[in-house]
Amino acid sequence: MKRLMSIALLCAFVAASVVATRFAVAGEEAAPTRLGQDAVCTRCHDESETKPILAMYQTPHGVTADARTPSCQSCHGESAGHLVGDKDGKGRPAPDVIFGSKHTPAGYQPSAPLAQTEACLSCHKAGLRTHWSGSQHQTNDVVCSNCHTVHAANDPMLVKVLQPGVCFGCHKEQRAQTHQFSTHPLDAGKMACSDCHNPHGSAGPKLLAKNTVTETCLTCHAEKRGPFLWEHQPVNEDCTNCHTPHGSNISPLLKSRPPFMCDECHDGPHNSQAPYGTAVGGIQGGGALAGGNPNSNAVGRACMNCHVMIHGSNSPTGAFLHH
Amino acid sequence: MKTAAEYLTVKSIAIAIAIRAALMLFVAAPLLAQAQALDAGNEDVRTLIYPLSWLEIGVINVPTDSPKFGEYNGLDRSGAYLLANVELRGGDAYQQGDGSTRWQVRGIDLGTTSRRLEANVAQQGLWNFGVHFDQLRHYTTDGSYQTPFLGSPGDNLFILPPAFGVINTTTTTSAGVITSENRGAQSLSASQLAMFHNKNIYTERRDTGLTAGYHMNAQWALQFDFKRLGQSGAKLIGSGTDAYDLSDAGGFKYGGERIAILMNPTEYKTDTLNLTLNWTGRKGFASAGYFGSIFHDDYSGISWSNPFVTGGTGGAPNPAPGTSPGAAFPLSTMSTPPGNQLHQLNLSGGYLFSPATKLTGGLSYARNTQNASYDGTYTLVPNTAEILPVNSLDGLVVMTHADLKLTHQASSALNFVAGFKYNERDNRTASHEYTFLDLGGEELSAVNIPMSNKRTQFDLGADYRFSAHQKLHLGYESERINRWCNNPLANNAQGELSATNAGYYTTASCVQVPRNSENRLVATWRASLGESVNVNAGFTHGRRSSEVNRSFYNPMQANNQGFENYGYLAFFDASRRQNLFKAGVTWQATDRFTIGLNGRRTNDDYDSTLGVQKGDTSSANLDASFSYSENGSVAAYASWQRRTRDLLSASGRDAIVLRDTLWSNNFSDRDNTVGFSGKQKSLLGGKLDLTEEFNYSSGTSRYVTNLVQNISAAVGNSGSSPDIRAKTTQFRFVGAYRLNTASSVLAGYLYQRLKSSDYFYSAYQFGFTPTTLLPTNQQAPNYTVNTIFVAYRYSFR
Repeated sequence: MKRLMSIALLCAFVAASVVATRFAVAGEEAAPTRLGQDAVCTRCHDESETKPILAMYQTPHGVTADARTPSCQSCHGESAGHLVGDKDGKGRPAPDVIFGSKHTPAGYQPSAPLAQTEACLSCHKAGLRTHWSGSQHQTNDVVCSNCHTVHAANDPMLVKVLQPGVCFGCHKEQRAQTHQFSTHPLDAGKMACSDCHNPHGSAGPKLLAKNTVTETCLTCHAEKRGPFLWEHQPVNEDCTNCHTPHGSNISPLLKSRPPFMCDECHDGPHNSQAPYGTAVGGIQGGGALAGGNPNSNAVGRACMNCHVMIHGSNSPTGAFLHH
Repeated sequence: MKTAAEYLTVKSIAIAIAIRAALMLFVAAPLLAQAQALDAGNEDVRTLIYPLSWLEIGVINVPTDSPKFGEYNGLDRSGAYLLANVELRGGDAYQQGDGSTRWQVRGIDLGTTSRRLEANVAQQGLWNFGVHFDQLRHYTTDGSYQTPFLGSPGDNLFILPPAFGVINTTTTTSAGVITSENRGAQSLSASQLAMFHNKNIYTERRDTGLTAGYHMNAQWALQFDFKRLGQSGAKLIGSGTDAYDLSDAGGFKYGGERIAILMNPTEYKTDTLNLTLNWTGRKGFASAGYFGSIFHDDYSGISWSNPFVTGGTGGAPNPAPGTSPGAAFPLSTMSTPPGNQLHQLNLSGGYLFSPATKLTGGLSYARNTQNASYDGTYTLVPNTAEILPVNSLDGLVVMTHADLKLTHQASSALNFVAGFKYNERDNRTASHEYTFLDLGGEELSAVNIPMSNKRTQFDLGADYRFSAHQKLHLGYESERINRWCNNPLANNAQGELSATNAGYYTTASCVQVPRNSENRLVATWRASLGESVNVNAGFTHGRRSSEVNRSFYNPMQANNQGFENYGYLAFFDASRRQNLFKAGVTWQATDRFTIGLNGRRTNDDYDSTLGVQKGDTSSANLDASFSYSENGSVAAYASWQRRTRDLLSASGRDAIVLRDTLWSNNFSDRDNTVGFSGKQKSLLGGKLDLTEEFNYSSGTSRYVTNLVQNISAAVGNSGSSPDIRAKTTQFRFVGAYRLNTASSVLAGYLYQRLKSSDYFYSAYQFGFTPTTLLPTNQQAPNYTVNTIFVAYRYSFR
């Protein structure tokens, strides 16, 4: 019944929203911009530029029939001084907004980060960009054009197999980790950073796409969501208590190897109180505990040889995560 | 109009992107993007604004079997693979007229199990629709896994061949009843060894979905996404096999733990729905949405023959065949993940009070339910009635989220941000007492403990820009975590107290640390020194404190297995001081040469008497790139990473005062990565592009255990574990030669080598069976693969 009420509430909201569109303020319609306005710029700027012009017409910014399509000046500003030219012999003034973090070949310094991002956010402020202001990237002066190549026919940030290369330009620890023994399939192009992260800012930690670490991971790993009859506290709270998502020398993406990983939280119950050194090597006749042979509590999966339902169990006999 | 050569020059960014792509995937669309960039050189302006479509057909030769090499790319087997990629794009929007329709069909790696096919069409600004299919076969073994069980990956019943017989265990009997076993003395007979056979273990994901959107007007838009993620195959899992002995009159009393490594089926389906209504106004914006995730498991459990039945005579299992359900050998059963659902309502939005002041926030409410039947999730033991208070969990977790953030630009130099986040996982599942037979053979009772937690965070920050070239960020962050259980049964669950320890917990609660508080101070400085040098430095200091419940009882501590020793805390619960330092410098020496160095170090000091004492992480990264001409560039990087963790623990259990039987374990992880890449464009008269990439990664993990105090060497074990090592070498080389404006030939070579050693596998080898662990013959993955491909590409507009 509650579920039905929830659905009904959502439907009501949708219906109300549609009705509300009838009262949308006409003045809020985006002013149409046209390709023709670009001619002001393309008289001088063409495909010889560092950022070629024409490929942009293959992108969503180049659909002239869409009233929202920007002209060059929509993003770069009216740039009146630049259009006038080298009037006082001191060189042509820069356009109003220069994107990027480095000076241009013409020597123009990039605009302040806020001016750059506002040029984009004037249209792209909602949706994924909701949490941009005050986000880690914004605070560190990252601007849209550091990641997005809007003049290119295919913005690499929006192509799954290319996106990690963009992110790794700054996130070099993560680049190295993706070459480790156990990884997510980024190098194979089957995942992108944005499958887990929202680089524009988010309500979650570490710019995660969802509200929490666990919620983000369970988007794909729903089999670990439960709720289980027998729960395991660190699983409920944060997957990164045990896993390191970008790469590890210990499979599967583990921060440490049982039994030592388990020892970080358990000391006393069962064999967690027992010191294992060379015994974990599983070498018969060497490095053994008393008794002469390696102990199944220590070797291979160690604790998880038996406590296999480490993410939780739904068996009535699984109180110890055995079943 | 520019010349062809000039076009190639100005297309450097596109080519760079294409080259990078080619190196990343080796066999995929990026190769074609590379050729696309080449082709663009001879196109006139019109064609530059009209998209290129292309088809590619070729062959990949893989000379060596290696599931680890093919872990994600589908090239697991030796032989020839079809290389097939396609991208078709069109629509009247490209005519720059009145049309706004665009469509695209893209197929990537269609000849492998790592294929993707997608199509979408949109009338921009009005509606969009798309479908996709993505397949990913993930190999989790290197092909060396062997098992005597009959069955295939994806099954949930694994039985032994009738003639397999019982795995020997040296036993002592008295009056026909086994009184003791010599664990670790088993050996497999020649006939048993002959029944081991290889199984290739992988789990395959098939992601099928559609997306649709409708823009009602400039303010309102509706977006819908649906995805079905189907999984099949298996992953390996241990199993605490229910080992029978004859000490019980009925012959069914469990007597110990036996371990077989099984193919745990991953026959799952996850349906994900996302429906969002977006509104964008002049000063504000908002989204309201529904997110649903419905997980289904084809099975409720997995069953397998018990090969460790002790006692009996000869090779005949005991109990006699047929007395246990379904097989000659008694069957053990454990659960698989239960089906569950998540339904979430989301609201988010923002409002611009002024150009300088913004408020954003969000609310979420979700219900996560699970009510899968217990049937088929546990071993059915003849003549033993399980006591189940309920037949399914009827679990409910309510998750709520709220966030609010206010940002204000006080001046061009000064910004403020204040934020609040709240996340609650409220587990409203009922608790019951379950009576069951444990692996150890005892009849036990335990209460399920549905745990809840909430996390409340505040943060304040200020950015001050001293000049256009220098900026300082200061911040304060506060976090509180509360944990609890909702019902008295869970809050008062108690285990079996030994007389000597009675009183350590009397009215137990469900969590050991009901509250954590952490405060952090953050400072970051960034500056530009001249026009070519950028530097940054940062420091974060955090203090986390824990409120410890000394009466904590953990259900995992029942069965006389003791409770955590006095003074011991789990690392994620424990009080901690954390210091993080980071710094970086980038020097753009010229327009063609850039070099950068950055690093960070984190020190964690825990305030626990026992448990993790400290942990450090360090890293340094060096990058350099050089464009030696308009058509050539090289880049190189090196990364150095270190991680350590020191643990102090106590031997023994049930201490109510601090124990002095101490041992330590120190972990270290050392990872080094270096790489090089290069690209050369417009060779052979502008017809040939080459790219190369080399990566080398070396990782070493080691554990060292020391007996610190009052532990006899006879019961303890010290020393260093064998190193866990993995060294990966990868070299990729790709070339694209343009035959004419429509045709290109692509060719490439990939060398990849993995050398790994891991003591993990020692226990699973034939030849000895330590302590009741059935061997699997699994080996640490090692491979050397030389792969080549050649392809023909046809492009058109």
